[in-house]
Amino acid sequence: MSHYTLGEFEQLVLLAILRLEGAVYAVPIVDEIERHTGRAVARAAVYVTLRRLEEKGLISSTMSEPLPERGGKARRCVTVEPAGLEALRESRRMLDGMWKGMESVVGVTG
Amino acid sequence: MKPPRIPVRLLQLALPSDVREDITGDLEEVYARKLRAEGARRARVWYAREAVALSLRFGLERWLLRRVRPERSSLLNAVSVLDFKLGMRMLVRYPGLTLIGGLAMGFAIWLGAGAFETIRQIGFATLPLPEGDRIVAIHNLDVSAARPKPVRVHDVLDWQTSLTGIEEVSAFRQYQRNLLVEGRGAEPVDVAEITATGLRAARVAPLLGRLLLPEDERADAAPVAVIGYDVWQDRFDGEANVLGRTVGLGGTTVTIVGVMPAGFEFPVAQSLWIPLRLDAIAYPRGDGPSLTAFGRLAEGVSLAEAQLELTTVGARTSAAYPDTHRHVRPRVTSYTAALMGISPRDAKYLLSSNLFLVILVVLICGNVALLMFARAATRESEIVVRSALGASRGRIITQLFAEALVLGTLAAALGLAAAGYGLRWALHVAEIELNGGRLPFWFEAKLSPVTIFYALLLTLLGAAVAGVLPALKATRQSQSGLRAATSSGWTFGGVWTAVIVSQVAVTVAFPMTTYLMWRDIQEVRTLDVGFTETEYLAAQLALDPETTADTSRASLLTRFEQSYRALERRLEAEPEVTAVTYADRLPRTYHPHRLLEIDAGGAAPLRPQWPGYRVSNATVDPEYFQVLGAPVLQGRGFRVSDVASDAPVAVVNESFVELVLGGRNPIGRRFRYTYFEEWEEPRPEQELGPWHEIVGVVPDLGTSVGDWDPKRAAVYHPGSPVTAYPARIAIHLRGDVASFAPRLRRLALAVDPALRVMDPKPMERLHDSTITFLEFWFQLLLVVSALALLLSLTGIYSVMSFTVARRTREIGIRVALGAPSVRVLPAILRRPLMQVGFGIGAGAVLTGALVYAMAGVVTARGVALLGLYALSMMGVCLLACAVPTRRALKVHPIHALRADA
Repeated sequence: MSHYTLGEFEQLVLLAILRLEGAVYAVPIVDEIERHTGRAVARAAVYVTLRRLEEKGLISSTMSEPLPERGGKARRCVTVEPAGLEALRESRRMLDGMWKGMESVVGVTG
Repeated sequence: MKPPRIPVRLLQLALPSDVREDITGDLEEVYARKLRAEGARRARVWYAREAVALSLRFGLERWLLRRVRPERSSLLNAVSVLDFKLGMRMLVRYPGLTLIGGLAMGFAIWLGAGAFETIRQIGFATLPLPEGDRIVAIHNLDVSAARPKPVRVHDVLDWQTSLTGIEEVSAFRQYQRNLLVEGRGAEPVDVAEITATGLRAARVAPLLGRLLLPEDERADAAPVAVIGYDVWQDRFDGEANVLGRTVGLGGTTVTIVGVMPAGFEFPVAQSLWIPLRLDAIAYPRGDGPSLTAFGRLAEGVSLAEAQLELTTVGARTSAAYPDTHRHVRPRVTSYTAALMGISPRDAKYLLSSNLFLVILVVLICGNVALLMFARAATRESEIVVRSALGASRGRIITQLFAEALVLGTLAAALGLAAAGYGLRWALHVAEIELNGGRLPFWFEAKLSPVTIFYALLLTLLGAAVAGVLPALKATRQSQSGLRAATSSGWTFGGVWTAVIVSQVAVTVAFPMTTYLMWRDIQEVRTLDVGFTETEYLAAQLALDPETTADTSRASLLTRFEQSYRALERRLEAEPEVTAVTYADRLPRTYHPHRLLEIDAGGAAPLRPQWPGYRVSNATVDPEYFQVLGAPVLQGRGFRVSDVASDAPVAVVNESFVELVLGGRNPIGRRFRYTYFEEWEEPRPEQELGPWHEIVGVVPDLGTSVGDWDPKRAAVYHPGSPVTAYPARIAIHLRGDVASFAPRLRRLALAVDPALRVMDPKPMERLHDSTITFLEFWFQLLLVVSALALLLSLTGIYSVMSFTVARRTREIGIRVALGAPSVRVLPAILRRPLMQVGFGIGAGAVLTGALVYAMAGVVTARGVALLGLYALSMMGVCLLACAVPTRRALKVHPIHALRADA
């Protein structure tokens, strides 16, 4: 699985899951990404990405109890699997490698 | 409040079952959050947008997954992209089909989306205000006269104190006044005189200063005004210290206390707001200025529940004040529809007209399907090879659907752009028609997200018809074709026959409808009104209410009657004037519909279209018929004593005797009105108006506008200038009629400076606005007919070309065996001829039904004309067969045999 290269959005979703506490499901994930990146997130893209990450074994999900405030519907709560953590580390390593020595060319932003 | 129903349903259909619960739950959770934070409208729009995005993403994936074989599912994305690429390539490769098909689908989507948006804005617009959908209008109906009854001060006060289901009951009046700003001169401004609760009900905070307050409504309060953003910018250059400045407004001086934000024009199209004082002491019940009342539905109360409460309150008022309110029934309706004058029944008609347009879209896309099938036939070998290499039927259907979707998407972009442009143009024209007036603020010169969503659905529907239908047909035939190892198996079957038949039927119906519209215009122009109308000058009279010290309705009407009588005397003293009369509606002007029931003495059969006898009515001067020179054919005319009589009498026209009474003796018969403008539900017995006795019959006097308009049966009621207010005056003149108009204005000014003479013109020109309206529809129908004809002929042409191409070999063999052309021709033409024949038959029946529904009569001449028209259409359709037939007959046997070898 370590050969799987994460896309930018997949990284954002995995990092959002890791940053969140409590019940982690699509609604707070969208909010978290929007809060930290400052850009609007297509909800459909998050669902599709979560499905794909689960298919690849990078995350796993469980259904919560039905909740009245959601019209009696359950939440799909997700957690990052060790393979997911490994994929994130690998992506970071690759990016760091590419960035090395480039600060003077690209410039560094605060 | 639950999420909107249609998007929820869409999600149920589109989302896979394993994620449906959590995704819809998430959406509901966020929806509830948005509802609290941003209001119902924004939350619903957000939900609909998310539902579309999710449905497109998951629905397409699901649909494709179902159609590709399991082992290829991992290639899903690649496959769908490839399909769309192929679709694009096809557009370039077949430019003719791209052009015709794209134009056709674009036209269909333009029509569908344009009409949907127009209907939405006219009849179903929600106020673009926080919780704007909760704002409702309250108005009165007078069931005895079957017409609206103005809302007065006491009505609003009653509702304010009695209603719990409708909160913040408010009222306003609207008019124009000159706004006098020191150093800037005077310019008219649209003013709303509105209760403080009314402005607050809009839930919009002022940009500067404050809103109107209840204290401002007190008699001793200093006059204040809140101005709109545009007035602030245009008249005060956006000065920050505008608050506290005094300006002249009409004849008064007001102090500016607030500035509203840009775009705020509540309640209709206003730029300045002053307090409305609901002074119960100043006016007796049933009197005072005419108001528009509205309120907010209380939390959890539906429109029906509010109506129930209002009916109870109305019944109580009727019982307590029989003198003024015996026949008055209050109604609560949608705010925007009420302000636009759209009744619930009109709204239903408006909504159902969308169905007609959806059918049109299906038919047009059916035509495109025909062309696409013909194209698929030219790719037969490709499809057969793909099948042989293992492509499933679903895979090939997906490809053809994707191709149609690519075409449909381009067409949708074209159609939506045209609809957006058309909407801007229509609103621009409407504002010109308003002579400097403004459209209500809820009209927007852009397509709403709902309409774009609707257009997307139409595109999907169109692509399904144009892509999937031919694909189903082609793949079925290619599979059997492969088994039979033959390449001549593709034929146009039952589906295509149905498509062609309906195409031709619509093509037949449209030009006929256009012709009928043209004939209608001619008939309005040449309508015989039964008297020498060229000798009459007509004008509308009204009194400017603001110039009277006492602004009550009763005072206005009394003054109007006095002014009218004085004008009448002056006119009669003029040497060229022979007689003067008045009515609320004159011949050649629009007469609203009324439905009535007749007593038990026998009547003509009821038309199935209407739940009563449909008539037009007018309130007229007792001397009306004498002045117009219309003879009383039976019974008597009106007497002056009839006006105030307790036993209401009426005079009817000849068409009434024929259409309502079936030729029976009308004198002494009685009728009463049951419906107003056809839109109400049947009323209970106690709510029906009084019985009117028929005392005379006169000839038809031009109450019907054209032959399509079946309101030929007319009823006249005797009335004073007050009951006919704002009255129209008709002056019988010797000599040049038009040149008397300036004299009429001068006389009116001399009698009363507040008496306005509007639109004086010779009576034969009273129909000018009707003609303009009909001509607009005529031109629109002409364009639609031309396009329908073009599409239909293209369809027939492609079917014929296809048939000939498919049968080249057969024709060649026949010719080689010595068959003469006359023997070969019928074999080729039989099928297209039958299809066109059936289509024309269906079209003729459709047209006949349409004419019958509108005119309600069938004449031998009409049937003969229809037959003749059907034959000529047959000729036109056969022209489309000419080129392919010629091609077929030129087929050389050797080439034919070689071609299919």
